[in-house]
Amino acid sequence: MASKSTSIESPYLPVPVTIESVESISATERLFRLSNGLASSRSKVSVKGGKGGAPVYSPGQFFMVGLPGYGEAPISVCAPYEPGFGIELCIRLAGNLTGALHRLGPGDTLWLRGPYGTGFDTEGFKGLDIIFIAGGIGIAPMRSLLLAVLKERKSFGALRLLYGAKSPEEVLFTEETEQWQEAGLETEVIVDKGSKGWKGRVGLVTDLMGPLKPTPGSTRAVVIGPPVMYRFVVAKLKRMGLSETDIQLSLERRMKCGVGKCGHCQINSSYVCQDGPVYGLGDLKGMGEAFK
Amino acid sequence: MNETSPIPPRFLTKRELKSLLGALIREYRAYGPVDSDGVPAFSALTSSAELRFDLSPTHLSAREFLLPSKETLLKFDLTESGPGVVITPVVEAQPQVIIGLKPCDINGMALMDSVMAAGVRDVNYLKRRAATIIVGVECLPDETCFCASLGTERAESGFDLFVHLLPTRGVLVRIGTEAGAKILKKYAWGRKAVKAEIVKLEEHYELKLGAFKARLNALPEELPGVLAASDESPVWQSIGSICTGCGACNHVCPTCYCFDVSDELSSDLKSAERLRVWDGCTLDDFTLVAGGHNFRKSRAERLRHRFNRKFNYGSERFDSLFCVGCGRCSRTCLVDINITEVTNAIIKEVKESRG
Repeated sequence: MASKSTSIESPYLPVPVTIESVESISATERLFRLSNGLASSRSKVSVKGGKGGAPVYSPGQFFMVGLPGYGEAPISVCAPYEPGFGIELCIRLAGNLTGALHRLGPGDTLWLRGPYGTGFDTEGFKGLDIIFIAGGIGIAPMRSLLLAVLKERKSFGALRLLYGAKSPEEVLFTEETEQWQEAGLETEVIVDKGSKGWKGRVGLVTDLMGPLKPTPGSTRAVVIGPPVMYRFVVAKLKRMGLSETDIQLSLERRMKCGVGKCGHCQINSSYVCQDGPVYGLGDLKGMGEAFK
Repeated sequence: MNETSPIPPRFLTKRELKSLLGALIREYRAYGPVDSDGVPAFSALTSSAELRFDLSPTHLSAREFLLPSKETLLKFDLTESGPGVVITPVVEAQPQVIIGLKPCDINGMALMDSVMAAGVRDVNYLKRRAATIIVGVECLPDETCFCASLGTERAESGFDLFVHLLPTRGVLVRIGTEAGAKILKKYAWGRKAVKAEIVKLEEHYELKLGAFKARLNALPEELPGVLAASDESPVWQSIGSICTGCGACNHVCPTCYCFDVSDELSSDLKSAERLRVWDGCTLDDFTLVAGGHNFRKSRAERLRHRFNRKFNYGSERFDSLFCVGCGRCSRTCLVDINITEVTNAIIKEVKESRG
């Protein structure tokens, strides 16, 4: 029990964080950079790690992000944890809450709970080749892993990013991809439907997979994208000889609590907010609903 | 008998039982089964005369008293903006007593307890649970009850007091907790039950076991495997084609606990509340995400999920089935989807395919 009788330890209590900057990165996506630590608050908030302490998180984990009066939604971190720096979140305009979040600017406050869920085990990737396959907004959580890996580029083998988006307008982090390329991440982008001025490739992300020659056992493939993408990408990776232990994925689901109670994120017997969102392909055995 | 308590069962006369129940109703906020216009229902009690222990399981379970259908989790004072917003968690728990819970519901409540205490603790539920006195009452099955097929026809724990109505004169009361003993000592201590009376309990269980008309054709421990093998069964399509997706089966279930969370702004925009309301996995938007993708698109998939939640998925996470055989979903279904009939059809199919 808490020593102070006034503080109630509700698992649903969020903490306030100040927005440092907001960057519009597409017609529907904004990149929020948050301040390090918590905004001073009049609410009785308590956080593990002490007052003003920023939460520590892994690539692939998520926060419940909310605004009083508008609700909450699960949003994956978009950059890896770094001491002294705040959280980065890429938020797509999709409804009432995200609409309100998109109206916020530097100095405004948003409210967080978390981090929740499993993250990527970057340590376990060391010494291996990595193929990152991202579709749509899947590039946002993927970026948290990419940047973590690139920070220690020398510890990894060949790195390759295959990234598919619907249209050139929906390709995110275009300028950054050049930096990633320079940092040693071979990057290829493909769009479902080209437009004037698009000189890149047109097709599906699986079309980029043809030249891949992964070495089973010393390669990790990481897949994050829309539901329809997983089945095709995973089947192709398996045909290339990769086994279940070589493939990791992050799955999206509806979430309302983040703490394994509300039932929305359940896939067969697994709670995505607890056992996921990051899974090894082998973890999905018996989970027929995973790629629905 | 009575391994859960160091105090052996007590014998109370009908009059002593009445004074015990009367005292509880006076001292606590009390709920119990009543005849509500011909429907058995839990209701706030004002007198023990309202109580009916001879009815089928109540239309709704007692979930409302521990996990209300609508509950405020947080209050927002929006007088100031940004970090000036004051957020107050709401955790309310007033002493209450639930009288007349049958063994199915007592076993169902124990499952809710384990869900809410697992991992991150749901303090709203747990505080309310801790402030709740449970007085169970033994029963006989109606034509839909099938608890005996799931081993939930007896309650060995999860109650403070448990009342057995004897065929003659009085009642036996089993004591499940110290709080239960205290209450009994305070209001109606009766006398120690004699052997001949305790024997009557076993006689009752024998009578009860013989009285079930609805049964599952598999052992409880076989059910997770049966359901796990049923993914492609045509039964799901067949019940999916008649299901209206109304969510009533979720609504009445004592072990359904899924909820939605949403905010409600006051009309003057100066305050707001974060509310949780019951949700149900058979409702069509349960797995719908922003952007329009629905992870369980068909009613067949949603019903398969619900049946798996009751007979399969919980066995991994909580080492238990999540159906207690109360039969409420069957009684309430608008299109007569019957949980024992559906499950037996699945059992038959899977057993036949195994040869």
